[in-house]
Amino acid sequence: MTNSSPGAAGPVAGADGHPGEDLLASYAAGAIDEVAAWSVEAHLTACGRCRSALSAHVDAERLAHNRSVLLVRAAIGDGGRLRRVLRRGGLPDHVLGLVAATPSLRRSWLLSVMGVLAVVAGEAAAVRYGWITAGSPGRIPGYPGQNLAPFLLVGPLLVLAGVAAAFLPMFDPACRLAAAAPFSGFVLLLARSVSALAAALVPVAAAAFLLPGPGWLPVALMLPSLTLCAFALAAATVLPPRAAAVMAAILWAVPALLLAVDDVPLLIVQRNAQFGCAAVLCACAVVLLARRDRFEWGWIR
Amino acid sequence: MRPEAGERDDAALLRAVARGDEDALTALYDRHAGWLTVRLTRRCAMPDVVDHAVQDTFLAVWREAGAYRGGGDVAAFIWGIGVRRLIDAIRRDNGSRWRLPWRAAESEAVVSAEDQVLVGIEHGRLGQALAELSPELRGAIEATVLDGLTCAEAAVLLGVAEGTVKSRCHRARVALRAALAEQQAGPDTKAHRREAWGTS
Amino acid sequence: MDQMTLNVRTAVVRVDGLSRRYGATRALDQVDLTLERGITGLLGPNGAGKTTLLSILATVSEPDAGRVSAFGLDPRDAAERVEIRRRLGYLPQELGYHRHFTVAAFLDYVAILKEITDRRRRAEEVARVLAAVGLEDRARSRIRALSGGMRQRLGIAQALLGSPDLLILDEPTAGLDPEQRLRFRELLSGLPGDPVTVLSTHQADDIAAICPQVVVLLQGQVHFAGTPSELAATAAGRAWAAGERDDRAHLSWRGGDNRWRHIGDHPPAGAELVSPTVEDGYLMLSHAAGGR
Repeated sequence: MTNSSPGAAGPVAGADGHPGEDLLASYAAGAIDEVAAWSVEAHLTACGRCRSALSAHVDAERLAHNRSVLLVRAAIGDGGRLRRVLRRGGLPDHVLGLVAATPSLRRSWLLSVMGVLAVVAGEAAAVRYGWITAGSPGRIPGYPGQNLAPFLLVGPLLVLAGVAAAFLPMFDPACRLAAAAPFSGFVLLLARSVSALAAALVPVAAAAFLLPGPGWLPVALMLPSLTLCAFALAAATVLPPRAAAVMAAILWAVPALLLAVDDVPLLIVQRNAQFGCAAVLCACAVVLLARRDRFEWGWIR
Repeated sequence: MRPEAGERDDAALLRAVARGDEDALTALYDRHAGWLTVRLTRRCAMPDVVDHAVQDTFLAVWREAGAYRGGGDVAAFIWGIGVRRLIDAIRRDNGSRWRLPWRAAESEAVVSAEDQVLVGIEHGRLGQALAELSPELRGAIEATVLDGLTCAEAAVLLGVAEGTVKSRCHRARVALRAALAEQQAGPDTKAHRREAWGTS
Repeated sequence: MDQMTLNVRTAVVRVDGLSRRYGATRALDQVDLTLERGITGLLGPNGAGKTTLLSILATVSEPDAGRVSAFGLDPRDAAERVEIRRRLGYLPQELGYHRHFTVAAFLDYVAILKEITDRRRRAEEVARVLAAVGLEDRARSRIRALSGGMRQRLGIAQALLGSPDLLILDEPTAGLDPEQRLRFRELLSGLPGDPVTVLSTHQADDIAAICPQVVVLLQGQVHFAGTPSELAATAAGRAWAAGERDDRAHLSWRGGDNRWRHIGDHPPAGAELVSPTVEDGYLMLSHAAGGR
């Protein structure tokens, strides 16, 4: 059965039940009527041979272009489950892509952090429950909070380390590319630091929660950790970045150690210290915002 | 024989894609992107939108090949994804931000069943009845029956309101039933036929 | 005089009196330069200041003194600096990569830095540059699994993202085998939009093969700016070939054809005058400047 009058119910069958070359060409060009097209489409769904024959009528370059874009998109992937969730939550995908390169968000880093916390928290718990005796003979055993000194020293420093890894150029192998790119250096740095901060606070707060100590400990650690990181960032607008991070670390470690030696380590997270932290945080935020242009040019040596 | 062998290869390719084999994805693309492009172009004349839909289709195949349960053939599976990706692409192009979730089981079942009906057309009665519908009614039938879309999806594809799609489908079905009944009963006056079918 | 003012007007990138020190070392000393559309080679030994100059042109480093003007924009102004960066492609020396990244993911990352926010457009750009450098098959490979030459090509690919108007490449041919260098030359000569391309190298044959313009940088100062044939001509009448070594010549080495090549004013006995190459001119200048 060959073509009858135009407009009639479209004949599909050529001599052997497949649409002929001409019919396929007309279909590809959109030049046959709807009902004939439906018949062709119904046939195509079942016949691989005619599908291949039809492909010859599509622009090869167009197919090749779509194919290369497809393979690139498949190679890039969608970033994983967390990123999908965050994207649906409204965060712009390109910012997520930039943050994903942060070393302190990688599993290996977070596992190391948890490892350190486990050691420190384990030691604190062991002292508290008397499994091991606390250090120097001068210490009064059982004094509340004594056993927490190592944790109080290490916890916020771990958060600072995470943020330092997020903004220090030495941790970004492609830092020169970022410096030469139009994307704002300050926004990039801030996005990464905030993500690293959030990621690091979770295990630290969890460890503080699990530790045998005062119940308000997890919350009390938030502000000092935040302040430390803000200080490091603000100092980086004035000092070289590594020096800024080291200075922030010292500014925490020294008081923590002194108070630990005086057997009152918890003072560092109690009321006066919290007010002090809040004040420093505000000052640092102001400095950081005022001097943010520092991150845009000449920051990389 | 040949088409059957091709189907088995397709299913094997799809299983390979589910395992993360990129070469299988490329092979599947080379086999199916051509006809998919043409068939989508018949639904939407904008080549950019069709290109995006084709890319998105095979990306969805890449990510969700595991959802293919082996019922219905692979071409139908791909078409089910493709037409929905086209609708998403049209929505994006229109500035709408609502994404259409893709439903695996439905697309296979609906398209296969309808295809069976249409493949059985012997260019006779049903075909003639379809040809005598007005273009708007035919479009509605194509979207809901041939492509297996819901009325909401068909509304996006045709660029009309959902209610319009529903009423056109209803009128089309009425007209088709009438036409088929008449063909069985024998020729009648042309005027009477025209009245029964109606126009837009 | 007229030719000079004409050059100044049509020049796309201008550098005036650029200086930069690192501690006690003067990396750049009063450098004046004009760069036009097309490829310019920056030739000089390691430590001559090439990387510093390119780093300043790429708006990564700040100069201590002097001015840079690219497309009429001044990097000292924040908004104009961003505008320069939008038209920029930069391959730094020893580019580091996030090693766990795949090729496609890394290029996607750089494309985001170049402000291509739409995912699909990014994928199209990445596909385009991958095809340009011949790495399409490696889109899914991890960077740590690539050979040195492939990594270099990846570096060139990221610089090409966004079709820049100013392309700055620091030692792009390092690590490429001769066939890849050929491909690189073809790639550079076929770039859309005819950008201003600056590439640095310490090998004179790269210059001769690729660059219609060359600048010789020695000890932080420009010693030559012109065409490669002009550079070769500076050694005219002072390049010789002979069967043996001559200690009195400025420079003497064994060439590829197993004869000794000399550069100097006094030919040794039995030496014949030869046509100078770009390398001869470069070595001549280098020697005159007191370096080797």
